[in-house]
Amino acid sequence: MARRRFWSLRPASLQDAVQAVWANLLLHGFPARMLTTSLAWLPTFWLGTVSWVLFVVLLLSGLPLMVFYIPSVGDAYHSVEDIEYVVSFGWWLRAMHRLAAHLMVTSTTLHLVRVFVTGSYKNSGAGDQHREWNWVIGVAMIAATVLLSFTGYLLPWDQRAYWAVTVATGIVSSTPIAGAIVREVLIGGRAIGQATLMRFYVLHIVVLPIAVATLFGYHMWRVRKDGGLASGDGAEGEAGLVHAIPRVVGRIAVVTLATLLVVTVLAVLIPSPLEGPANTLVTPNPAKGPWYFLWLQEIVADTTLGLGPLRINGGLIGGLILPLALGVVLAGWPWIDRSPLTSAGVAFARERRVQIAVFMFVVVAVAALTVVGLLRGPSWAFFWPWQAWPLVPTRF
Amino acid sequence: MARITTPNRPPSARVPGDRDPATVLLLGLLLVAATSVVVYRDVRMDFRLTQRQFREMVLRRFGADAARTVPAGVQQIFVPGLDRADRCVTCHQATSWKGFEGAPQPWSTHPPAILTAHPVDRFGCTICHGGRGWAVDEAGAHGRGENWGEPLLDGALAERLSPGLTRRTLMQTACNQCHRYETRTEGAESVNRAKQLVQEKGCRACHQVNGRGGVIGPDLTWAGDKHPAQYEYARLSGRPSVFGWHIAHFGDPRALVPDSVMPNFHLSSDDTQALAVLVMSWRKLTVSADLLGGTPRFDPPDERARAEQAEMQKGPGAWFVRTGCFQCHNVAVRGVRSPTPIGPDLSTAADDTLRRFNLTIDAFIHQPVGTMRAIFSRQIILTPVQKDDAVRELRAVWAEYEAQRAKGPRQ
Repeated sequence: MARRRFWSLRPASLQDAVQAVWANLLLHGFPARMLTTSLAWLPTFWLGTVSWVLFVVLLLSGLPLMVFYIPSVGDAYHSVEDIEYVVSFGWWLRAMHRLAAHLMVTSTTLHLVRVFVTGSYKNSGAGDQHREWNWVIGVAMIAATVLLSFTGYLLPWDQRAYWAVTVATGIVSSTPIAGAIVREVLIGGRAIGQATLMRFYVLHIVVLPIAVATLFGYHMWRVRKDGGLASGDGAEGEAGLVHAIPRVVGRIAVVTLATLLVVTVLAVLIPSPLEGPANTLVTPNPAKGPWYFLWLQEIVADTTLGLGPLRINGGLIGGLILPLALGVVLAGWPWIDRSPLTSAGVAFARERRVQIAVFMFVVVAVAALTVVGLLRGPSWAFFWPWQAWPLVPTRF
Repeated sequence: MARITTPNRPPSARVPGDRDPATVLLLGLLLVAATSVVVYRDVRMDFRLTQRQFREMVLRRFGADAARTVPAGVQQIFVPGLDRADRCVTCHQATSWKGFEGAPQPWSTHPPAILTAHPVDRFGCTICHGGRGWAVDEAGAHGRGENWGEPLLDGALAERLSPGLTRRTLMQTACNQCHRYETRTEGAESVNRAKQLVQEKGCRACHQVNGRGGVIGPDLTWAGDKHPAQYEYARLSGRPSVFGWHIAHFGDPRALVPDSVMPNFHLSSDDTQALAVLVMSWRKLTVSADLLGGTPRFDPPDERARAEQAEMQKGPGAWFVRTGCFQCHNVAVRGVRSPTPIGPDLSTAADDTLRRFNLTIDAFIHQPVGTMRAIFSRQIILTPVQKDDAVRELRAVWAEYEAQRAKGPRQ
């Protein structure tokens, strides 16, 4: 039989199915049986799995990069040039690492949007469910993912890196009272330098990856504890249950290969940028943060206003109050959401249409502001994609 | 034991995952194909092709034994004294080979004369030629990307920058980074000419260069390090570049900076290019002493000018020397000779101000106009008493001049 060639383990009984999971280290986190609805591509789009695959890609490409990268202000830039130009497959490792990082920020965010619109953070009342805490873990993982990407942004020590971090940490310093101290702790001094590079490097290669991996373990454990996907809560008895092995392995193989394929193709098509070495005296115009902070930078730019004698601190609004308020409301939403239990795991449930509309409005607004931020040119002027930016002056 | 694979399921319904093996196969093949592109791109780097062609050239000309000595893979010259790794020799393998003088780039022999004083293995390449030593692809190594400020100083760039500008002239921006304190550098004709112009035109009357000079204009000692973003290009036509800015500015300073007090020296295009090359070469560069060798490390003081100045300070024109007027002005009747007489002779100043500005010398000294306004506000600051002295001195020299003229040719 053709299928045998791909996968020989095909449990015939429940006992075999349980044994298939128990006997294998890699598979033992899976249930013995799964609902067919949970194995379908919709409604989850398998975005959590995609994010996990990207995380593994980041770990695997990051390890060799760590060997070649030198975290010192004097050598960082040249070591990245070495990776880009002369290390065998260095350009590929760097491109995979960079693109997987950007894609992971995207996929985790989309995962959050999916969980929200399907009400999957809700408990349906059956058993000892605490999906609201898994939602909080998820929000924390997104924060850690963004920080991972952001700390990696500084490491090449080129103009783009240096000034993106200058912009972002400058926003942090608009925090009232503690702003200067927070910035000082973050960058290890008054100015971005070797201490900043070391802090960001250690966060990037040790603290944050361990945080994400630990949270991921907890996240998956909670999914099992809470009875699997919320969309399957209504299932009764044996209806719709199939042996998890080998189907779930096949599904994960498809998601893994598809994700790898996308990252690899993009790595071939999109060269990784490396601007001139960091120059502390010359600010590029425009100086932009990383793309996932552009919506905040746009808000900062738009709310920094002088109204007569009154001066509105845009950094405080866009850099602190707004993201903090959004973050707190987002993490606490399961407790704010009072819709009936029947809407758990239901996509665009009628009972939740108002909150879904508000949520989607915020998502679209953030996306729109990000696009506007991407289109900003010199002096933060707006340029349509078909409008050419003024030529950047060069030495020769 | 109950078989519970798919209870209550109609036989026709599909279970998600039925087609996964085929999808895995398809995606796997696509991934292999995409990864093959990655491997192909990494293995087939242009420099390998270039090296193979050079090996064939050596084989044809010098035989198999010689061809075997041509190294393969990335080659580099690490120059600790400049903190550079120049990998140019990865492709430019013929640099130190004799016999490829006429060969096309990148397989031609480097002109040997310049290499005796600047051996490649000690100096590398980019210190003279520009470009990005770390890169091994042509576009990257030649610094074509907009993010790299040090492009290869080649003929194409020279042609693009200014009509008639040659690679030989352009490259002297690199020579003079180390040779800046020489008055004459062998082979660097344009820079030599520019240095001569600096003396003739009296740039130091307004500008500091190497710690000497006036303070009307900006200090030019490290002018080559000024960042492209720090120039104003609004009045410059064409691509905004520092080099283009300097050429246009030397041609007509006020065309670029309307309120500039810098005079238009009506320079030829060769001279504007030479001066632009010189100014661009004034960069702070950390060069180790072993590379500098006998090249001067500081600007030699002009002993003759100093002696002349001391002499004049003892003469009748001492006031004009002490006050600093002599930097730009002769005062012929008092025997004061300016090293750079870019202003009019002060012997007739009391008359000139009337004719040129319709101002008495008294009014002009107290309310100066034109270039002198800038000089009296920034470089030569006179107290009210000194201003009265100036008026008195200028009236005196005018009287002496008139007296001399009265005695002079008429008799």
